[in-house]
Parts: sequence; structure tokens; C-alpha cells
Amino acid sequence: MPNTAPLAPGGSPLDHVTASRRTLLRGLGAAALLGSAGVSLAACGDDKPSADPNAPVELSIFWWGGDARAKSTDAALALYTKAHPNVTFKKTWQANAGYYDKLATLTAGGNAPDIFQIDDGALSEYAERHQTLDLSAYKDSKKIDVSKFPPSLVQYGVVDGAFAGVPTGENTPGMIYDETAITALGLAVPTTGMSWEDLITWAEQVTTKSGGKLYGTMDPSADYKALWIWLRQQGKQLYDGKKLGCTADDVAKWFDLWKGARDRKAAPPADIIHTANAGDVTKQLVVTGKAATSFLWANQVTELAKATKNKLGVVAYPGDPSAQWARAAMYLSIYKGTKHADTAADVINFLVNSPDVGKLWGTDRGLSANTDVRAAVVPGLSDANAKASSDFETQLASKFGTAPAVPPKGHVKVRSLLITYAENVQYAKATSAAAADQFVNEANAAIAG
Amino acid sequence: MPPSLAEAVHPAEAPAVTRAPRRRPTTARRGEGLAGYVFLSPWLLGFLGITAIPMLFSLVLSFTDYELLDSWSDVKFVGFANYHKMFTADPHYWHSVGVTVRYALIAVPLKLAAALGVALLLRRDRRGNGTFRSLFYLPSLLGGSVALSLVWLAMFSRDGAFNAFLRLFGIEGKPWANDPDWALATLILLAVWQFGAPMVIFLAGLKQIPNEYYEAASVDGASRWRKFWHITMPMLSPVLFFNLVLEVIHGFQGFTGAFVLSGGTGGPVDSTLMYTLNLYLAGFTDFKMAYASAMAWVFLAVLGVLTAAIFSTGRFWVHYADGEEN
Amino acid sequence: MSRVSAAVRLLILLAVVGVVLYPLFWMTGSSLKSPSEISNNLSFWPHEFTWSNYKEGWSSLDVVFGRFFLNSALIAGATVVANCVSCLVAAYAFARLKFRGRGVFFAIMIGTLLLPHHVLIIPQYLLFNAFGWINTPLPLVVPKLLATEAFFVFLMVQFMRGIPRDLDEAAKIDGASPYRIFWHVMLPLARPALVTTAIFSFIWTWNDFLTQLIYLNDLSHYTVPVALRLFIDSSGQSSVGPMFAMSLLSLLPVFLFFLAFQRMLVDGINTTGLKG
Repeated sequence: MPNTAPLAPGGSPLDHVTASRRTLLRGLGAAALLGSAGVSLAACGDDKPSADPNAPVELSIFWWGGDARAKSTDAALALYTKAHPNVTFKKTWQANAGYYDKLATLTAGGNAPDIFQIDDGALSEYAERHQTLDLSAYKDSKKIDVSKFPPSLVQYGVVDGAFAGVPTGENTPGMIYDETAITALGLAVPTTGMSWEDLITWAEQVTTKSGGKLYGTMDPSADYKALWIWLRQQGKQLYDGKKLGCTADDVAKWFDLWKGARDRKAAPPADIIHTANAGDVTKQLVVTGKAATSFLWANQVTELAKATKNKLGVVAYPGDPSAQWARAAMYLSIYKGTKHADTAADVINFLVNSPDVGKLWGTDRGLSANTDVRAAVVPGLSDANAKASSDFETQLASKFGTAPAVPPKGHVKVRSLLITYAENVQYAKATSAAAADQFVNEANAAIAG
Repeated sequence: MPPSLAEAVHPAEAPAVTRAPRRRPTTARRGEGLAGYVFLSPWLLGFLGITAIPMLFSLVLSFTDYELLDSWSDVKFVGFANYHKMFTADPHYWHSVGVTVRYALIAVPLKLAAALGVALLLRRDRRGNGTFRSLFYLPSLLGGSVALSLVWLAMFSRDGAFNAFLRLFGIEGKPWANDPDWALATLILLAVWQFGAPMVIFLAGLKQIPNEYYEAASVDGASRWRKFWHITMPMLSPVLFFNLVLEVIHGFQGFTGAFVLSGGTGGPVDSTLMYTLNLYLAGFTDFKMAYASAMAWVFLAVLGVLTAAIFSTGRFWVHYADGEEN
Repeated sequence: MSRVSAAVRLLILLAVVGVVLYPLFWMTGSSLKSPSEISNNLSFWPHEFTWSNYKEGWSSLDVVFGRFFLNSALIAGATVVANCVSCLVAAYAFARLKFRGRGVFFAIMIGTLLLPHHVLIIPQYLLFNAFGWINTPLPLVVPKLLATEAFFVFLMVQFMRGIPRDLDEAAKIDGASPYRIFWHVMLPLARPALVTTAIFSFIWTWNDFLTQLIYLNDLSHYTVPVALRLFIDSSGQSSVGPMFAMSLLSLLPVFLFFLAFQRMLVDGINTTGLKG
């Protein structure tokens, strides 16, 4: 029995041929009509130049997050309305589950919100299909002022030459470790710059000393961030335009590295790794007490800390930290079909550059993209973990290498393919070489298609 | 062929009104035909206005190259390319077909058996039965919530309650929900666990059987077993038929459980990649909406044939009190 | 049945209920755990009890959780009425009236159950958009008024076909129109089917996530399933405890609804129907 009654229905298998020709034609007519409606909606462009600047404007804005983000975003938008009483907001927010389903549905219906939050997994999907407004003109005229942003961060919002998303903040992958548990075993905590081999050797000690109760490290072979950084340390890339920037051999080596770690009991068995592979904060091994480290984003340490009594620390992913770069934690984009592009751009400019908003948001949408705002915000952070992760990112920032392009469309599919094939190896359902081969083939097809 | 209802019911209880010799006047028949359309009109309106258009839209899309978010003016017809790709060039497709068939073949009979068994136990108006009915329905109230998936994964993980239970008997369990060889089994167990809906339908069907039939059979000294096969089963057969058809449809569609338990991935290692989940992922995370539509219409066609087959067996075992042929 | 066998039956039932409900007990236990425990204590019993999940779940959002209950109850209530009326009417036509095309329409109706609904989300949105129904509750209710839930139409058809024809035949001989027969014969006899429809309509609407997510935009209009998802932003803020607490709390109204209606189910038609 369904938990939700069927949304709606299809046609009869038995009789769809007889379902009268007229119905079919009517359906097709309606489809064409709706289609053109979508197009014409999408086509209506910027504010009319003659429009009264003080005319009332209601902007719709859509984001994902928790209730803390909702409160700080409400407050930030209220600040904007206070300064511009004619501009009000229709706010929609939800958690990330179902966010992109809804955004895609609204967009396909020509009804996308004027401003929406988006991440680097989806930015290219929307930008390459011309659903986001190219903000280059606003950038050049400084109506959206990114002069205080790290240049590589701005670059990370450019898709096919169009400035598709304004980064709200910067984020860095971080290896989060359980300081309390590691110290209790009499071991040193991991450090930034240790090699992958060092990590595995160290992790093996953790497992041994804990009598197998605590595995040394999560196996990040299914984590695209880890693979990407590791590839850059080998002089490769995850992406090279519309194909992978690595070969099946490279990926097989990566899978083998972690197969070795599992064989040495430095990393837990497949089923435990699997629970964390989906990426949910509350299921990470460092808080479920299964492993001493987890591979996540550095700013997630704040949320992780709430799920454990132990003290957590954060260091860079292993290997040469110059393989890392300034990444956008998320972006704000403007829908191509908005009727209020200028106002929407001004709102985004306010949200990313106002020190007041910076204080409201803290590090919730990443470390402020505007470095002046960042400098003003970080000392005022009250949460010790937030401060620690900010300090970590700030330190690491001095070592950042050049940023690659934003992942191409198909990236989300590639991410899930990596999980599938890494797990194939972890569960010993396939050899590293075979899994890597399939991964590379299917990933290339996903990006090209 | 089981005995018909007329044989099953004691002759004294057989319908007092015989239907055979009567002929209705044609005006009445015409009036009935009109009334048919009047009563059907909300459904017709809903079908033509709300159901048929999106349905045909998706059928048309299945012959195009439409990707979610593409602008509608760029959409091109590609003939049967999506269908061709599905059958020849998508290794995950056939895998998901296999997962779905295995799931449906096991989950549907188990769930129906559980529902019917509990409904039979709780059919009478004995004190406390209302509470038991409600308690058995409780799991189904949870639907496909996130809370439920967290609970289920915790129960059937390596250190979960189920393994703790097995350990009482000295059995070392598996990481069920996180083991590619067993994840589908935990998914099936979840479906069976939520047997509340068919149970309620069985209960309602059982209540519709007039007590007089049983009383008459008792007078004749029929055993409980005999009453079950000769009264309960034939009288319940329309409802059993309904539950069978719907459970088969929902068994094959089985999306929600797979979605919440695997976090929307069909993992571990595609072991719970149900057909509809694969279709959803194709449409909404890979943006290949035209391809997903093609998958949906193949699904409809196959399930339609299966449903029609079940309907055609109905004449052998479903007994309608309205005396009409199936 | 003897006293002993009654006791045995009760014991078996209790044991089965215990096993069946264990996951719910576990959820209750977890809803009383502190955030630092909930991820790493898999046992049923919390190390330390706390009610804070209930308090936080109820009031941490800008809108108190009771509001979501109210919204869900309104939509579910409307759905119950709409489904009961529209599906009963359609089912009567299919089950009892003869008219041209009945078989074809019935097959189409069953066919509408078969298409996986995910491919209909976008076209349906386009359609409702063309109707101007976006940002209103209409997409959630109007389709139910038009008997688009084939599940319930089919359910009621099966029940009606289980009702002996004697009564409506007799009425027909007396010259009653199909409309009178519907009102005076079918409606009273269809009670088990109506109650079943009411129960499922209510519960499935109460649990339906995706449709409600897509058509509701404002926090104050959100329903329970949409609101429950607000607690878990898997990449960021995740309040598992409050989510468990509110999930359990949201079972209460549906449980009570079921408890009330299953009573009507078992009161049955035996006495009211055939002799009446």
C-alpha cells in the first residue's frame, strides 16, 4: 500500500489506444501551449528602465537550511527592507531534502524564485541550461561588488563565461577528528600536511590501541572531495572541461589505497563506511563513535560537535594542502525570468557585502566571501568550534592553489557514481580496476550527455 | 474451481428475489445509461481535465530529448531513442528491474498474508480488539518518514536491536540494512511490517459478510474450516482481489521505502535500486526527464499486462454478490 | 472459546504487538535522548532523560508546531470529504449502472494507477500553473473532488459489488430511479467502504510529502510532513531528537482518527443493512 496515495495517474495500459484521438490531440495542444507559456515567461527580462525606483517590489527568495539559517536570513532581509521600504520578500525555505526537486519543478514551470540558493553541484546544471541570469554586467559595474572577494572564489561562480552565482561564502574540506578519543589512546592528533600514507599508518595504530573498538579513519574513497584533492596532488584533475581529468588507472590507484587501509584495519568494514557515505552530519563516524576521523567540510564541525560529548578538531585533508582551493560554500543566483533583476542584484550585493549581514550569518553560509566582512566577523564568533574552523580556513587560505572551474553539469551524477563504485570495491563486489573502469566510463557519459 | 456462492450459502439463505425472468423497459435502461454518465461525470472531468493531460504530456516527452530545465523551445523529437537506450545501453536499468521483481514477488504475498491473518484474528467485536487493531495499524501511520528510516536503519545495523536479539541465541548477525546482500530483505520487511492498510480493507470486507450465513452453516454443523472456505473466502474474494491488484501495483511501484531507507541512492551498491527510484533519479538528479518518462511508460505497459492478467483470473475465483460476470 | 484458549490468544497477540511495536518504543526512547547521545547510543534506553526535544521541536521554528497540525488537519479533512463523495459517486456508476463505454472507462481508471507519478510532477505543475492555481491550496484539493484517486474508486466498486443486488433490484421494481437507489440503498450500505476511504484519505494526506512540498511555499502554510523535514538538513543543522519527538506527536492525531473510525468500521452493516 502506498504511503502517499498516487499523486495522479496515468493512462490505461489496456485502452490508451482507444483513449480517443481527440483527447490525445487536446493533450498535445495543451502541452504546446504550456510549453510556450514557459518560454515566454522565461524570456521576460529585466526591469523596465522607466520603472519607478520606489515602486513596491516583492522578491521571492528560496533557500535550504535549518531554522537557525531561516532566522538569520529573515533578519538580514528585514535589514534590507528597512533600508528600502519598497522592497519586500516572499521567503520560502526548507531542509535540503527535496529542495532541488522543488526548485526544478518551479523552474520548469517558469515560476522559479527571483533569488535562489544553489551549490556547486547544481550551478552548472542551471547555468548551462540558461536558467540563471548572467551577472557579469552587475559585477563589472560593481552593482554586485566582488572586489573584496578572493579572485579564485569569484572564478568559481563562472560557468561558460557567465557569472552565474555569487558565492555567499568560502568553505574548505576538512578532516575532523575526535581529539578526546585519540588523546585517551595516548596518540598524537593528525596534522595538516601529513601524507595519505601517514594517515593510514597512524589510523592503524588507533585501531590497534583501541583494541578494534575505534577504527582509525573513515575510508573516504567514495568522497569526491577527497578524490579531487588527491588527484590534484598527483598533478591531475577531477574534471577537464566536459570529461574527467583522470584515467581509470588513477581511480583504481585511489581505490587500492583504501583497500589497503581496510585490509590493515586502519579503516572500518564496508557496512560502517556505508552509513557515513551519504554525508549526513549525524551519521558521520566521528560522532557515531566508529572512527577517529571523518571527511567533511570544515564548517560542519560546529554541527558535528552538537552530536558528541567529545572534543573535535579539524585539519586539512591529507597530502599537500596547496591542492586545495577557495571553494564557494554556496551561491545566490538570480532566475533568468525575474522581473526585478536590478533589485535582486542589489539585494544579493547587500547580503554578501554588508558587515551587518556578515555578523548575522556568522559562518552559516561559509566564511564570508568578502574578506573585509570576514575580518570583522571572525573575532566576534562566540561558538568555539565555529571559531576553530574559521581559524583553520583562514590559515589554510594562505596555501591555496589555483581554483579549477566549477564542476560541469552531470557533477551530481558523478558524485553518486563514485559512491556506487567505491562501495563496489569496499564490499568486495568488484576489483579496484573493474570498478574504476566502470566509474570512468559512466562518469564521462554523464558529463558529456 | 471453488464452489460458487450459491452452493456455499445454505439454500434457505439464498436470495429471496430471483432475478432471471425480469425484463426492464427500455426507457428505464436509457435512464440508467444517462444516470451512469451523470454519476461518472466528476471522474470524467477529473480524468480529462487533470489526469489525462499530464499523462499524455509525459508520453510525448518520452519521444523527445527533453532534459529537466531545458527551455521548451529546444525540445526535439528523437523517436524511440530513449526506449532503445533503456533496453540496450543502460546496465542499471536491467539491474533495477531485477531488484523490483524480487521485491514484489516476496513482499506482496507476505504482506497480504500478514494482513489477512491479523484481520481474521481481530474480526470479531471482542473487547480489546479495537485497541489491537489500532496498535497493528500504528506502523502504517508512520508512512515513509525520515524518523522511520532512522529507526529501521538503527534496528538492522551491525549493533542494532535485531542482532542483539539474535545474540541471545548465539547467532552472530549481519549488518542487514547496510549489507548489499540483505538490504533488500530489510526493505521487504519494512513493507510487510506496514500491513495496516490491506488489514483494514480485509476487516471492512469481513464485516460485510452477513452473520446469517455463518449461523445457517452452523445449524448445518459445518466446521470452522468449512465455513472459512465456503463462506469467508468466497464472500471476501472481491476485497481479496482488490488487495491483490493494489498490492501488486504498489509492490512494483515501491518507491517510498527504498527512497527513505537508502537516502535516495538505492544503495548500498544499488541493492535497493527499485525501478521507480531509478526512474526518479534519472528524471530529477540526472535531469533526463524524457528518459524517465520512457521508463515510466514501459513500466505502465508491463504492469498493465500483469494487471489485466490478474483481472482475467478473477472469473475463476472472485464471487460478486451482484451476480454479474467479472 | 474456552478461558484457556482465550488467554493463549491474548498472550500471542500481546507478543506479536510487542514485536511489531518495538521500533516505535525505540523511537520513543530516542526522543528522550540528549543530542550528544542520539547518534552514538543505539540502545532503546537513554542514559539521561530529557524532555527538551519536545519543547524544542514544538517551538523552535518561527511557527509553533501546532500550526502545522492545523494545516495538515484542514487539508486532510477536506481530502476525506472530497474523496468520499467523488469516489463513491464514480464507484456507483461503475458498480451498478449500465452505460456505453463502462468497461473502457473502468480499464482507463485502473490504468491511471499504473504510471509512476514522478514523471507527472512537472506536467501537473505546468497544468496547475496554467489554471492559475499555484500559491493556492487548490492543487491539493480539487483533484480529489474529481475522483482522481482511482484507488478509492476501485475500492468502493469492489465493496459495492459485494452487496447483494436484491435490495436495489427490489427498489427498481418499485420504480425507484438510480438516484434514489444511490441515496437510499447504496449510501447506507457503503459504510465500510466510506469509512475505509476516510481513514486512508486522512492518513495518506497526513503523510504525503512531495505534493505538499511543491505546492506550499510559506512556512505558516506548511503541513506536518513538510515541517518534519525542516529538522534535518542533512548537510548542516540536524535536530534528530526534536524530529523524533514531533514525529511521535504527529502520530497522535492520526492514531485517534483511526481509533474513532475503526469503531465505525466494526459496528458494521450486518444489522443496519440487510434487514433494514
